[in-house]
Order: sequence, then structure tokens, then C-alpha cells
Amino acid sequence: MTRSATAAIAALALALVVLASCSSNAKSSSGTTLAGLFTIEAGSCAAGSPSGSYFEMVQSGGTVSTGPFVSNPDSTCTNQAITPLSPGSDGGLRAGSYQPEPATPFAAKGNSAAASVIEPQAFFAVSFGVSTNPTDPQTGHHVPAPTVTEAGDQLHADLSAWSVSWNGQQFNQGAPKPAAVGSAATGTYDATSGAYTLQWTSLIKGGPFNGFTGIWHLVGTVQHS
Amino acid sequence: MTSRRRWPLVTAAAIGVALVLAPVVFQMFTRAPEGGTMIKGFKPYMTTETIATFRGDLAVIGSASHEVTALQGRIPRTDPGIATFQQRWPGIDADMSAMLSTMAANLGHYQGVAALPPFVLFPWFFVLPGIFVVALAVLGLRAPPQSTRTSRLRIALAVLGVGIIAAPAIFQMFTRAPGGSKMINAFRPLMTTAKVTKIQGYFLTIGDGEGELRLDVVPQLTAAAVPASELDAITTFTDQWPTIASTMAPMIGAMSDNVGNYDAVKALPPFWLFPWFFVVPGLLVAVLAVFSRPSRRLGIAPAARAESVGFTLQGASP
Repeated sequence: MTRSATAAIAALALALVVLASCSSNAKSSSGTTLAGLFTIEAGSCAAGSPSGSYFEMVQSGGTVSTGPFVSNPDSTCTNQAITPLSPGSDGGLRAGSYQPEPATPFAAKGNSAAASVIEPQAFFAVSFGVSTNPTDPQTGHHVPAPTVTEAGDQLHADLSAWSVSWNGQQFNQGAPKPAAVGSAATGTYDATSGAYTLQWTSLIKGGPFNGFTGIWHLVGTVQHS
Repeated sequence: MTSRRRWPLVTAAAIGVALVLAPVVFQMFTRAPEGGTMIKGFKPYMTTETIATFRGDLAVIGSASHEVTALQGRIPRTDPGIATFQQRWPGIDADMSAMLSTMAANLGHYQGVAALPPFVLFPWFFVLPGIFVVALAVLGLRAPPQSTRTSRLRIALAVLGVGIIAAPAIFQMFTRAPGGSKMINAFRPLMTTAKVTKIQGYFLTIGDGEGELRLDVVPQLTAAAVPASELDAITTFTDQWPTIASTMAPMIGAMSDNVGNYDAVKALPPFWLFPWFFVVPGLLVAVLAVFSRPSRRLGIAPAARAESVGFTLQGASP
């Protein structure tokens, strides 16, 4: 084999490696990484029990299964422990990249200006929003961009960058928490339809809701990038 | 010939070592910065204006509660959130008002403590003088007894001792530190996890009541042609609630975030003792420096003593 042929084969192999690593659904030993938009299907309580995407909060000292849960008077559900979520301006959560909060994270009266992941939702008369940032606004930790891995029909997600802003305050609501503390988010995925679910719990550390636990349920479809 | 007393300098060196070790023993390197964080965290709330604002907020909520009581017969249905709010409000008001009174009574003490040098420096106020005391004492022990160097070292040690005595006076610790002690004691019932959890519950109760007033009661009463003037206090409350929440929630957050810091400060020796942690060692070091002067009586060599006696006798003979 001539030297130029060897170089050409090497270049081709390198190009294939680069292409593989740039693929939206990179395979790893622990599963396939899903990159793209995880659309958020709006939550609803129309059928009595909640459907779609929603948020709950367990009071300090409570449990995820039995509560006591925080009743949000601004919830549209009869069971006001459920706060339905609606998609933000991006349509949902982007895996593989950040959706940072704006430079001025709060509008008037402490309402969140972070509107790309979810549409800000009223919570005790003040709207909360969600963003994902390279540096977590509450803890100051560097956090990775949301990463979702598929193995079979199961999802495993690092959502440590999931940050909630409300009433002039920042709350990390990621899973795991920054610095890889706690469990990751889990869920299901139907490769045929693209339908997914993701759920996780996140203990609030610091601030007015210190010791409370956020419970997040996201439902939607994956739009691969 | 003269000889130096060794024990004063040895004792001074021991005091220096004690000063160096004191912050380690009292875990001041971790606890003092936590105290500084707490003082900084409370800063926005420990002002006359903020306390007056909180009192005004309680008055707004209280007026709404009175109005709900007055309208009780006309409210179409009693929402559980409002019932809970009405039932708990008197207790919440009393407890929050007492908390604000405690804060107001300790404003001066807080300002005194906040005006002290940064807490993070506190351990070094012991360590650095301690190192200097040890260094001067050791150098003094090693220097020739009658030399100018020894004399200078002794003077430097005495001046250092006086400086250590003067430090608390310079920083007005005699007035500020006892005030800090009083503040720490006054905040003891407030700065516990149980108390913070209780106040978190107050926020939820008020917020739940406000939401039901805003979203259910006011629309229903308005639809029932109840004059707006009779809903004045309730609408003032619901209009102002986002603002009230924006000051109340961060204050609860500040309390919650500083429970651990408060515990760290509480674990330090009482604040009022701190000036004396400088005065007593400083005084001892200064006195020991004076006592370390070479003696003309002790340690005089026998030969020199005989020579001296002989000289005296010769001088005395006719």
C-alpha cells in the first residue's frame, strides 16, 4: 500500500469517528444519548387525575408518596397540589445544550423571566420559570447541559442544570443535584413514536423552601436534532 | 555581673502558644466565617425601615383577615384555605410581631457586631499576636542577658502586650461584644430548624388564604354586588401580596440559610468574653516582659560577689 493510500484511509477513518461523535444519538456503553428537543406536553387536570407535564412540592419533613404537599392556590387543578406545566418559547427542554435564563432573570413583582423551557407558571401569585445554565444560579456550581440516555425503552437523564427562578430567588431543582449528589431523572421512551416521560425529585437546599422537595413530571415527544 | 530571669519569658512564650492555639481549640477558623456569613445574610432585614415594612405587611394582612370576618355571612362558601388562614392568623400575627420586636430590640447590637472587623479575620487576631509573642520571648531567651538586643526585645514584648490590651478598646469590643452576646441569646428561639419550618408554614398559610381570596372570594362577592369599599382591605392584601411575598420569602430564606451559621456562632465562647481574651493575655505578656529584666541580685557569680564585697570594704576603710 502506498503512503498516500494509507493516509487517505486514515483520514476516512478519522472522518467516520468525527461523524459518529457528532451524531445526535451517540451510542455509548451505557445506552444511546438522545440530543434534541424534549417537547413538553401541557399538563391538565381535566380528567380528574393529572396528565401531561406537572409539578408538585412536598413540604419539609414530608414524603414523596404521602406528602404533605404544598397547595398552590394558583393551580388550575381541583387538587391544587398539582401545578400543570406548559411548554415555553422553545417548546420544551433541550438535551445537549443549555437554555439559559435572561440577563435580567426577573420581571416585575418577582415573576420569572425565564420562559424558554416552560411558560412561567403562577405559584402563590408569583410566576416561576425554568432555565438550564452552565453555572447553576443558586449553587454556583458548574453543571453539564441536560443529558438524556436511552437504554431499551428506559431513559436516564442528568438534569442537574434544571434551575427554577421565583420571587427573586433561585432554586436548583436538578437531578442529580449539582456536584452529582442524589439520583438522576428516569423515564420511558418509545423510539417509534418518540413519546417520552421523565420524572424526578429534587430536594430544595436553602432559601424559603429549604427542606421541601420538588417533584417533576415531564411528558412529550423527542424531536431529534 | 547580672543574670536574667528565664521564667517570665518562658511563661510569655506559653501564652503566645495559647493565643495561637485558641482559634484551633474553639474552631474559629470555620465558625467565625460562618458568623460573618450570618451577619451579612441578616443585613437587609436588620434595619428600622425593613422592620417597619414587615410590620406594615402584617397590618395589611391583619386588616384583610378582619374584613373576611366581617364578611363571613356573605362569603358564598368557605374555602378551606381561607378557613385555615382565618383560624391561624392571630397566632401567626402574634408570633411574627414578636419576632419583629426581637429584631427591633437588637438593631443596635447587630450594628455593633456588624461594625466589628470581618469575622473571617478573628482567628488571626489571636494567631498573629501569639506568633509575635512566641518569637520575641524565644529570641529574648536566646539573647545575651545584658545586651542592648535583649533590652529591645523586652521592650518590644511589653509594647506588644500593651497592643494586645488596646486592641479590644480600639475595636470598641467592650461595648459591641456584650451587645453581640445579647443578640445571639435573643435570636436563640428564632434560629432553629423547627422555628424556620413553622415560619415556612406561615408563608404557605398566608399564601393559600390570599390565593383563595383573590381567585374565589373577591370574584364571588363582586358578582354578588358587594360594594368594592367593603372589600377594600382584602383587595389591598391581594394587590400587595406579590410585594409582601417578595420580602417575606427571602427573609425566611435568610433565616433558613443561617440556622447552621447561627449554631456555629453559638458554639463559640460568649461574645462578651472576647475582649478579655485579649486583655488578660496582653496584660500578662506586658507584666512578664517587665519581670524579665536582668536581676542584679540573682545569679551573681561568687567570684564577682567577693570582688564586689572587697571593693566595698576597701572603699570603706580609712
